[in-house]
Amino acid sequence: MRYILFIALKLLLERKRQTTVSTLGVAIGVSAFIAMSSLMMGFQGYFIQQVIDLEPHITIKPTEEIDEKRIVKKFDGESLVEIYGSKPKEKDKIIGWKDLVEELQKENRISGVAPRLVTRGILKYGVKEKPVTILGIDPNLEPKASIVEKFLENKNLHLLKSDKDTVIIGKLVAKSLGIREINKKLILVTPNGNSQLVKVVDFFNSGITNIDDARVYINMKTLQALMERPNESNQIILKVKDVNEAEKISKNLQKRLPFQVESWQRAYANFLSIFKIQNIITYMIVIAILTVSAFGILNIISMTVMEKRKDIAILMAMGYSRMDILLIFLCQGLIIGAIGAIIGCIVGFGLQEYMESIELDVEGIVRTKGFVLDRSPMYYLYGSLFSLLFSILASFYPSYKASKLNPVDIFRSGG
Amino acid sequence: MKILEVKNIVKKIGQEEILKGINLSIERGEFVSIVGASGSGKSSLLYILGLLDRPTEGEVYIDNKKIDFDSDVSLIRNRRIGFVFQFHYLLPEFTLLENVMLPLIKAKVDRKKAEHIAYELLQMLGLNGKEKRKIYQVSGGEMQRVAIARALANDQDIILADEPTGNLDSKNTYKVMEIFQEVNSKGKTIVMVTHEMDLAQMTKRIITMKDGTITDDKRLEL
Repeated sequence: MRYILFIALKLLLERKRQTTVSTLGVAIGVSAFIAMSSLMMGFQGYFIQQVIDLEPHITIKPTEEIDEKRIVKKFDGESLVEIYGSKPKEKDKIIGWKDLVEELQKENRISGVAPRLVTRGILKYGVKEKPVTILGIDPNLEPKASIVEKFLENKNLHLLKSDKDTVIIGKLVAKSLGIREINKKLILVTPNGNSQLVKVVDFFNSGITNIDDARVYINMKTLQALMERPNESNQIILKVKDVNEAEKISKNLQKRLPFQVESWQRAYANFLSIFKIQNIITYMIVIAILTVSAFGILNIISMTVMEKRKDIAILMAMGYSRMDILLIFLCQGLIIGAIGAIIGCIVGFGLQEYMESIELDVEGIVRTKGFVLDRSPMYYLYGSLFSLLFSILASFYPSYKASKLNPVDIFRSGG
Repeated sequence: MKILEVKNIVKKIGQEEILKGINLSIERGEFVSIVGASGSGKSSLLYILGLLDRPTEGEVYIDNKKIDFDSDVSLIRNRRIGFVFQFHYLLPEFTLLENVMLPLIKAKVDRKKAEHIAYELLQMLGLNGKEKRKIYQVSGGEMQRVAIARALANDQDIILADEPTGNLDSKNTYKVMEIFQEVNSKGKTIVMVTHEMDLAQMTKRIITMKDGTITDDKRLEL
């Protein structure tokens, strides 16, 4: 094989300009792959991690059954009118939730269980109002079922226990209402029309915009009293030991329980499917770049084969086999691919470093102070493997054609 | 002892029969010239003798062993046969030394040893001091001498030359012929295609071809 490499390298080095352009094409493809993959997967990974940390792995809610009998059918003059939108048959509560919490706590695959009373409401601060989602939590059990404390700016979750008239509000809720510091008092209005003066003891800042812009935590007992729903819970949240098992566990629970059981994967199915589309688009762009670079390789090898017909013929006369000829040209494609991959990895690393150094406020589905990157070495490996694969594919056809040249035809035609 | 033999060789290109049942045997150490008019089939016969082309019909023997053209004959070419053409066919990317080394590295000769052999061959052919030059830095006669060195690199015992002096002036032509005679004197078998009778006269045997057949075969007393 050493003689193959020797000849292939010589032929490449004598065509410095074309070799450089082709190699750079591959390098751009690989670096784009590394940079875009780490950016996309970093963002997605960050989002999913935040969701996994923040949101219940599994949520148990009352089943909303529509009472078929309440769908009104009547004649309106000549036409039959069907009226939908009947109220749920079941009341918005989990009957026997305390027993259920105890039962679920014994489950091996579940590491934490907490009840919640969740409702919509309005927060008022001065003249400003903000519609919010109110989460009545048990401050003792909640940290076992979600990593809520991780996202609290002042770590004051314990204050919900001692002072029942306190709330923790989302960072963006606070921003909307114009609250910059804790201990501000505001009015919480619940859907039944009751209101209560509450004190802000902490800000909740997860980085997920739609959560930070809507969420208010309050002691469950306070909310039960405010809602006039003593000892009621309408949500049980579970934390499982293996987040990837959440969907499987939720399906098992669904079979056993007369409630609606939803895993985080199903709750965020829309986002996850958007991510899939995003990944497809990203990889299509990268494949397009690699395809262009592959055509560069195809071009340089084809040109070399065309110009080297005489040399191929004499190599065959010297005893080089058709396989040797194929390997000499295939090797050139591989060398371009390999060098391109190495340069691409270096440039990709540089791009990652640069992107990580940029400080900017990203405001979208997530909020961060700069790009969130996934710097897995696997992207370097995949990028390099893809480039080598594309290089082999691109150089195979001209190499094969070279190996099929008939030296006698070339000698007869005088080269 | 026969080193090369062909029996009933027929070569067709399309419908045209360019070799019509050639029978020929060449002894080890012979210096044979094949002469004939253009299109007489002399180069076609040389390509078949050199296993570069396969005959439509007939058999080729090297050292009385029948050549199977369905197998890979490239190794036999590499170890046994050296080619010299009218055009030098040197690879422009390589130095003169590297050009001579090409058959050696294919034969998996150690690089240092290959360099040594190539260096000695170039010296023998009067190219000392020019080993590291590229082909555009030497004359036509020198290029052809490099091509001869390349044909001898693996100590091949059969040298096939197709109009090797066709592009050379008379001084270089006779220089090449002298080299061939010297190589032949060391036991190498040389088959040379030429259309110049005065060069053929410098060989030991002249085979004349016409329209794909051998019309004359005479040995010369030198």
